[in-house]
This record gives sequence, structure tokens and C-alpha cells, in this order.
Amino acid sequence: MLNALDKTLLKTVADLEEIPKGAYNIRKNGKLLGRQVSANIDIETNADGTGIVVTIKPGTTNESVHIPVILSQAGLFDVVYNSFIIGDDADVVIIAGCGIHCGTSEPEGHAGIHEFRVGKRAKVVYVEKHYASGEGTGKRTLNPTTKVFLDEGARAEMELTQIGGVDETSRVNEAELEAGSLLLITERVMTDGSQSAISTNNIVLRGAGSSANMISRSVMKGNSRQVLYATIEARNKCFGHIECDAIIMDNGTNETMPALKAFHPDAELTHEASIGKIASDQLTKLMSLGLAYDQAVNRIIQGFLK
Amino acid sequence: MLELKNLYFTVPKGEGNGVRNIIDGIDFIFEDGKFYAITGPNGSGKTTLAKQIMGINPVSEGEIIFNGTDISALTITERAKYGIAYSFQQPARFKGITFRDLLTIATGIEDEHKLLEIVRRVGICPLSFLDKEVDAKLSGGEIKKIELAVTIATNPKLAIYDEPDTGIDLWTIGPMVNLLKKEMSSGQTTTIVVSHNRAFLEAADVILIIDSGKIVYSGGLEEALPLLEDLSVCTYRNTCEGDHDAECFR
Repeated sequence: MLNALDKTLLKTVADLEEIPKGAYNIRKNGKLLGRQVSANIDIETNADGTGIVVTIKPGTTNESVHIPVILSQAGLFDVVYNSFIIGDDADVVIIAGCGIHCGTSEPEGHAGIHEFRVGKRAKVVYVEKHYASGEGTGKRTLNPTTKVFLDEGARAEMELTQIGGVDETSRVNEAELEAGSLLLITERVMTDGSQSAISTNNIVLRGAGSSANMISRSVMKGNSRQVLYATIEARNKCFGHIECDAIIMDNGTNETMPALKAFHPDAELTHEASIGKIASDQLTKLMSLGLAYDQAVNRIIQGFLK
Repeated sequence: MLELKNLYFTVPKGEGNGVRNIIDGIDFIFEDGKFYAITGPNGSGKTTLAKQIMGINPVSEGEIIFNGTDISALTITERAKYGIAYSFQQPARFKGITFRDLLTIATGIEDEHKLLEIVRRVGICPLSFLDKEVDAKLSGGEIKKIELAVTIATNPKLAIYDEPDTGIDLWTIGPMVNLLKKEMSSGQTTTIVVSHNRAFLEAADVILIIDSGKIVYSGGLEEALPLLEDLSVCTYRNTCEGDHDAECFR
């Protein structure tokens, strides 16, 4: 069912060697390739056939869902709307990812709109990787959108990574947090050549005692360009922090716009942002341990995007 | 053996004002397996000299000969491969690089047991440090301990420690001195410590006092003490030595 190319893409975006155990839904070139549900995790195609609804029963723990998408068909632009309904007190891991292989000059792309409703006190870890490969000159576009609604006491950890090969991306992350909930987002994007990536993030802290921490790590190689908008809006007594670091290599450019909006007197919002080349003291240290200059650069970037 | 021959480090003074020698013609031979403490007033050139030996600062004039090879023009990486290690006064802080990663980079060892063995041998860091990220969250003392441990882990022929006691609690300085002495004798490591701390000065075989880029004394601690007290009269004397400046009583 999986050819060698599929396997490589799956391995890269979802760390999967084979068809996974537990619940999964694998989509290839806009069509369903395989699906497995479990006693506690149900996956159904949505009403208009444009995506899936993953429903996780309340109290489900130690289970995972894999939902990778692979594209290797020229000229295809695949759009999916996926919903995740995570029951109260559940504790699950969701692994998504999109791998594109472009072997021709025709463009290929994927837009995934992922909506999460995380129930009271539920915990979810969401890992999403984007990657494109192939010798073709066709433009590879990935436009992921993630919307998160955290109910009281819920907790979501989101790891969003775009590791390479994507020509154009416009990423949108939105979140709304109810009382006592916690959101941790880490976004890592590396661009090269003439690629561009725009990431727009809006986090609304609605409930008392909610907190959010957004970390963005960007690396611009070649002549690539990245733009980051990160906004945290506080509507209650809450805590929010934005940390954006961008490393410029070659002639890359970066615009970083963190924004904090407090609409409550007890809101505590902070941000730190930096753009620059690799710090010379880091390079010097690794060279003094025996790494050559280029090796030291690679090691620092590897850690930065880990 | 490390030999410094007529060594200079020169910076321009400013437009048309000529040059200033930060290191001003130093000649010295560091013998194998000995413990040297470099001390002297702030801004006298101690760290500049140490960094010249590692290749972080260039050699403006003169030569650095290490075990018979002229290393004056070699890169930091090349000097590291010759067995020179450097422990920074203010260690670099990374993102996403752990103590374990630094040990692996320094030694090439990835095996868990062997890494734990190194941490145990060095003794200064608890085993739980292994997966700590070497980032801005570490305290000044923690990062210095990691820096020291990574330096020792490379089993250097020549180890340079720039103010290793910065941020270290008083109770750790004694064990730290013992550790450097132990490593020095077991590995025949030539050890150079830049420090003002008496514990290191007392442990040293030879004390070098640097002032204004020159070695003004080399020898034992006894004879060095009067000179050190003299130098400590006023650390800022270059700026306050004027006839009318009554502000400087130290």
C-alpha cells in the first residue's frame, strides 16, 4: 500500500516507519489511503466530505492518533478541514504532518485547517511537521491553519515545525483559552533559497488564570524571507509570554511583530524578541571543542530548531 | 611545552593616533604538567593573552609555539585538535543544546554509561545536569560548572581557565582547585588559570603577574604577595593617577 516515496515522506513528517498502531488516518493525493479507529478514538469523514472529525472519548489516556497527509501527484492542491473533539479529562497525543514530493514543474500544495476543542481538564499534545522534497521545479505551497479552543483547566502543547523545501507558506494559529487552561506553542520554521513564510498567531486569554507561552524559532537561509505576527490578548487575570528568536544566515530577511494587548488590570503579558546572526560566543565555544566553523553553525541551528 | 615569543596584541587607538599594545611583548615558557596562575589588575591583558593562546584573539606580532609547532596562525578548531582547551569566563548560552550535547561534541562519546562516567569523574556537576539545556535559565554557578566539566572532559594537554570561580559558591572553590590539580597530575595537563582568587594562587606552581600587557613577575606566591598588594592600591590608577585627583583612596 505504501511505496518507497510514501514511506520516506511518512518517516519525515510523522516518524512512522510503517502503518502505525492505534488510531490513524492517512491521506494520499487527496484521497483516503487508510483509517483505523480504536475503542476510544473515532475517526469519521465530515458531513461535506472535506475532511475528518476525530472524536476522543472523555477520560481516554495514553492513546495517540496519527493523521499524516502525503502528496506526490503533480498539479494537486489539497484542502482539508479536520476537527478534533477531545473529551473531558482525556490525555492524548495527536501527530499530524504533511509531506510533499514534487517531481515535476507543476505546483503542488496543501491547506489543512485543524480545529481543536479540548474538553475540561483534558491534555493534548499536538505535533505537526511540514516538509517538501523532490527535484521538480513546481512550487510547493503549505498553508496550515490551527484553531484551538481550550475549555476550563485544559492543557495543549503544540509543536509546529516546517523543516524545509516549502516554497511558500502562510501559517495561521488561533487560540482561545478558558479559565485555568494552559497553551504552549512552539513553532519552528526554516526557509532557504527564495522561499517565504508568513506566520500569524492570535491567542486570546479569556478565562481567569489562563496562561499561554508562544515560542517561535526562525532560521532564514539564502534569500528567504519570514514574517511573524504574534499577538496575545488578555481579557482576564492571566499570564502570557511570547518569545521569538530569528537567526539570519546568508541574505535572509525577517520581520517579527510581537503584540501584547491587555484588557484587564490583572493581566501579565511579556515578550522577548531577537533577530540576528548566530552569536559569536556560541561559535567560538563549539570551535574550541574541535568543531570546524561550518560544523559549529550546523550544530547551533540544529539545536535551535530541535 | 608552550612558548610565547615576543608576543603582541595590538589595537588601533583611534583615527590617526597610532596603536596601543594590549599585550606588549611577552616572552614566557609554560612547562608541561605545571599549574600556572595568571593574575593582575583589571584590564591588564590577562584574558586577552589567554584568548591569544586559544586563537580567539589573533597574534599581531611574535609567535606561539606549542610542543614544537608554531600555532600562531592556526584556527581555534586546529588548536583544539592539538589539545588546547579553553574555559570561558562568561560561557556561551545556547538554545536547544544540552550539557550532554556539549560533552558529546567535546569527546565524540555518545554512550550513556561513558558520559555518566565522565560526569562522575569530574564530580563537580550532579548526574542530573546531563540533560540540562545550556541556556539562559542556568544560574551563573551552574553554567560555570558545566563549562569546567566540558573542558576537563576533552582531556586537554593544555587547559586554560578564565576566572573559573566566577559565580561559584565558596564551598565549591576548594574542591574545584583540587579537581584541577588532580586532572593536572593524572593527565600531565599544563594548567593555566586566570584568577584573583587566593585559593588558585596558593595552588599554583608559578604565579604570573601581568600589568599593562607585560609580565611583571613570575615565581612563587611569597614573593608575589607584596607586589600584588602594591597593585591593589588602586585598580584605576591609570585614570586617577593625576596630581589633583583625591577621589582614589583604595
